[in-house]
Amino acid sequence: MKISYKWLKDYVNLDVDPKILEDHLTFAGIEVEAIEHIGEDLKQFIVAEVLSAQKIEGSDHLQVCMVNDGGEEPVQVVCGAPNCRTGLKVAFAPVGSIIGGEFKIKKAKLKGYASHGMICSAKELGISEDHDGIMELDTKASIGQDLASYLDFNDIVYDVEITPNRPDLLGIIGVARDLSALYHKELHLPQAKEWNTYDDVNDSLKLEIQNQDKCSRYLATVIKNVEVKESPDWLKKRLIAVELRPINNIVDITNFILMETGHPIHAFDYDKLAGKKIIVRDAFENESFPALNGEVYKLSQDDLVIADGDKAIGLAGVMGGANSEITLNTQNIVIESACFNYATVRRTSQRHKLFSDSSYRFERGLSSETPVFTKDRAIDLILDLAGGQLQQGSLDVYPNPDLAKIEVELRPARVELLLGAHIPLVEIKSYLKALGLELITESSEKIKYKIPHFRGDLLREIDLIEEIVRLHGYNNIPVKTSPQGIMNHKHFRLERKIKDLMVTAGLYEVINLTLFDPDNLNKLRLSEDDFRRRLVELKNPQSNVLRAMRTTLITNLLNCTEYNINRGNKDVRIFELNKIILNNSDKTTEERKSLTALLSGNRFDNYWKDKSTKCDFYDVKGIVEDLFTEVNLTISYTPSQEKFYTENHSLDIICKKLKIGSFGQIDPKIAKSFNIDTVELKQDVYILDIDLTQILEIMDFSKRDFQEINKFPNVYRDISFNVNSDIKVSDIISTIEVVNKAVVKNVSLMDEYKGKNIPKGKRSLMFSLTLNSENKTLTDKFTEQLMQKVIQSLEKNYNIEMR
Amino acid sequence: MKDKLQQIIDKAESELNSITTKPELLNAKSRIIGKKSELNSLMKNIKDVAPEDRREFGQLINEAKDYLQQLIDSRTQIIDELIYNEQVASSRIDLTMPGRRTVQGGLHPLTQIWREVEDTFLSMGFEIADGFDVEDEFHNFDALNTPKDHPSRNLADTFYVEDNILLRTQTSTVQIRTMENYQPPIRIIAPGRCYRNDKMDASHSPVFHQVEALVVDENISFADLKDTLNIFVQTMFGQNIKSRIRPHFFPFTEPSAEIDISCVSCGGSGCRICKNSGWLEMGGAGMVDPAVLESVGIDSEKYTGYAFGLGIDRITMLKYNIPDMRILFENDLRFLKQYR
Ligand SMILES: [Zn+2]
Repeated sequence: MKISYKWLKDYVNLDVDPKILEDHLTFAGIEVEAIEHIGEDLKQFIVAEVLSAQKIEGSDHLQVCMVNDGGEEPVQVVCGAPNCRTGLKVAFAPVGSIIGGEFKIKKAKLKGYASHGMICSAKELGISEDHDGIMELDTKASIGQDLASYLDFNDIVYDVEITPNRPDLLGIIGVARDLSALYHKELHLPQAKEWNTYDDVNDSLKLEIQNQDKCSRYLATVIKNVEVKESPDWLKKRLIAVELRPINNIVDITNFILMETGHPIHAFDYDKLAGKKIIVRDAFENESFPALNGEVYKLSQDDLVIADGDKAIGLAGVMGGANSEITLNTQNIVIESACFNYATVRRTSQRHKLFSDSSYRFERGLSSETPVFTKDRAIDLILDLAGGQLQQGSLDVYPNPDLAKIEVELRPARVELLLGAHIPLVEIKSYLKALGLELITESSEKIKYKIPHFRGDLLREIDLIEEIVRLHGYNNIPVKTSPQGIMNHKHFRLERKIKDLMVTAGLYEVINLTLFDPDNLNKLRLSEDDFRRRLVELKNPQSNVLRAMRTTLITNLLNCTEYNINRGNKDVRIFELNKIILNNSDKTTEERKSLTALLSGNRFDNYWKDKSTKCDFYDVKGIVEDLFTEVNLTISYTPSQEKFYTENHSLDIICKKLKIGSFGQIDPKIAKSFNIDTVELKQDVYILDIDLTQILEIMDFSKRDFQEINKFPNVYRDISFNVNSDIKVSDIISTIEVVNKAVVKNVSLMDEYKGKNIPKGKRSLMFSLTLNSENKTLTDKFTEQLMQKVIQSLEKNYNIEMR
Repeated sequence: MKDKLQQIIDKAESELNSITTKPELLNAKSRIIGKKSELNSLMKNIKDVAPEDRREFGQLINEAKDYLQQLIDSRTQIIDELIYNEQVASSRIDLTMPGRRTVQGGLHPLTQIWREVEDTFLSMGFEIADGFDVEDEFHNFDALNTPKDHPSRNLADTFYVEDNILLRTQTSTVQIRTMENYQPPIRIIAPGRCYRNDKMDASHSPVFHQVEALVVDENISFADLKDTLNIFVQTMFGQNIKSRIRPHFFPFTEPSAEIDISCVSCGGSGCRICKNSGWLEMGGAGMVDPAVLESVGIDSEKYTGYAFGLGIDRITMLKYNIPDMRILFENDLRFLKQYR
């Protein structure tokens, strides 16, 4: 629904900035979906004066005009309106301005005359339905002024979403009432005036409701001798702001009241009512009804109609009939202020696919009390703007007035219990009073309220508590402090993730005691100044082998391996993720998390279909690659400085210039010192050792880049060649990649072969290239040329021989 | 003419019936209704037929052609069926041979229980706090209201690194460290390693695992403690398991209690595991002693709290029916594979 800021100010004295009001509305439960600045597009149009207007020969209506728009030179415009004449002040659309949001004014030539702009009618500017000719502005209008400021069109309109439980907010007054409660400001409702009355209404009209289930109230008022004409500017502006087109004063007033109160009313042309009566009845099956929109509907018995003596003149709550429409010739009118059953209106509206501002409101359930207010409002506005003679009294059929009276009890203690916040009783009472609730009785434990008729959604205590907290502000309820910030979620998640990854990689977790025998460090050939020598030793050890806190998990894993091999478990794939504890120079201790894995023996448990293969260096390297992909860190390798690995069979892992771990083959001699005889077993031992604490310090958990999925298909090309064995695969891959970094997406090693048919000192390598361009499908020709360049580059750099 | 057609049809029928492969069938098809077939050449002779008979002639040939096409189609179906049967028969496998298992390792049973404990408490709104293995006497004893001459401070019970530095004997140290750094409300668990100078045997280890729980807030009562324990025990061991607490003494809680759960093995009727008592001892609990709260600067009038500690190794052994604590730390792969 559209809500105008200026219109709101008619009822409540708002002094907040419109931008801040947007927030306040949203946080009071009236969600603002968009904001529109009314008059913004009228700023392109200019007040101008017609300096001369001359008929064009050979055209019956076109005139060529010179117009002063306040610029240095007068502008020539061709205009077709009969009322265009010298001296007239007009609304001028210059070249480049846009009319109706889509039609852009360009230089044009008509009957040989250049036209630099357009003189507009009120309809073209969306100001009224008046299309008779160009808009005639006040003679005192100042030339060059923009039309928005001339017309005083500046308003802010909020497009708000009203929740289904709040039909009372479907009118500006309802929203103003909420704001008045929110800001503790008075709500100014229009007061009914006293008017002279003429003959008794009963002499003019009869009223009958045949189906009281579907129409809970019907009020009919008759006004005679009205003058139907264009509405005054203030009324048109109000309607335009909320996107309703002004039509004539009577129709505009009914639309105005609909927007103002959220309760639709309707006006019939009295003289078109057969038998001078109004009957609210079920439609006849297949009764035909000509609606105001020009369509004719075939009704069903389930529809409710407003009828006169012989025909349907309105589809109740949905749309009036064309046969009783107000026209410029209308003299006498009947005003309908009624309340129809929401389900009936909804079914009728759905059945005929006929949706109107009226049905939208009725189908949400409106109050039977509001029609009194809308009737008074209609009388005031009509007599004021259209004149006429009000017939004395109204016809009012209201079978069950008691249904509207609801009382609810509120226990203030319950408010505090439920909200967890203390809201002073005066504040609670102020909110409810402002919302229209009437205090009936009050004790220290409970307050009894009468619910206003327009708030059918307030039935229980909890409904009132919701209103209190809504107006008090959800943001003003203090956050109850709960324990938080103690847990290191980052560490928690990473540890679990990494353990799971190791399990998926086929490793078993082991758990060893934290205490160890530091003599084992000598077996690892650690230098005297190695950090793992910073021992925390016990003063009262239980035994020599449990006399210090471990500074590495490697010795434990080697012990585990020996233990298992001795018991016939020769295929050992294990890891431990646990603390190591180091002594600092200042006698404090440092507890770090370490991840250590060990692989030895068969890669898989033997399976009858496969040949069993032993774990090797590349198995450990694969785990390292998996691990760092998982934690989203880019790493590089350097030859390992650790002395416990076999030379040339180990790498240190570098990330952000820090060494964060190492992996490789344990030197057979060292393995032997842990009673693992790799020669006899015919299996080597591979270790991976990572400082997890360091990873936690450098990894970024928040970031994970999205990579666009390419819509063009990948192209794959294989290449295989012989090359000297000392040329590194990583160098070959980067050489291939630089040939065309944009297109070569991936280079993977597919095969290595040495031996038969390959010259000594060489090896045969096969690579698979994944090629793709983000913006086109690669042609065969392009691909061939690229592959040629790759080969040339490899020949030049590494002296390869293609196979 | 009709005879000629019948001849063609008879010949085609017998030819098709002997065909058993797809390529043969294709050849036959081109011989029977293809461009160079007898039927096709018959069709070309239509110009020699008397004009008034041409219509009938054409119709007869088309009927024959349709019939032959049907014969070929049905033969195609028969051959497809033959091929399918052959395929199924030849691909018969021994369904008793073992399936290919995924290559997966496994988490240590202790870790599995550890996670279960963490998840249970996380779901109850607890946070997980971390502590140090190497602690000072203040956090392990003094702040926990343990008298200077308390026997647990003995070298025979506690590992010392320096005179006042030791390996924590209980995860209760995290209570102190948390309360030093955070104001109530506090709602944490602290799983971790503890150390006591016990010889390794079936139910003891110098290194063992505990989980500590600590809740400090306004209006925290003994009843809350019982509630949390009940929920935890039933989540870990099942709805049928009851917990009870009975009076005990710890320096840092008052009132203090020991926690028992009904025997998970016999359900309470008495067995070897529960030594016929029907109950198993799970750990200690109690309301945080006001002196402990005051030692970390928490107003013990405004706030109250409870704490309890449970043995993770013990829970693991009970849940997984592991008879000897040493098995947990031997890391025999045959044991680890049982629980993967
Ligand atoms: Zn038992």
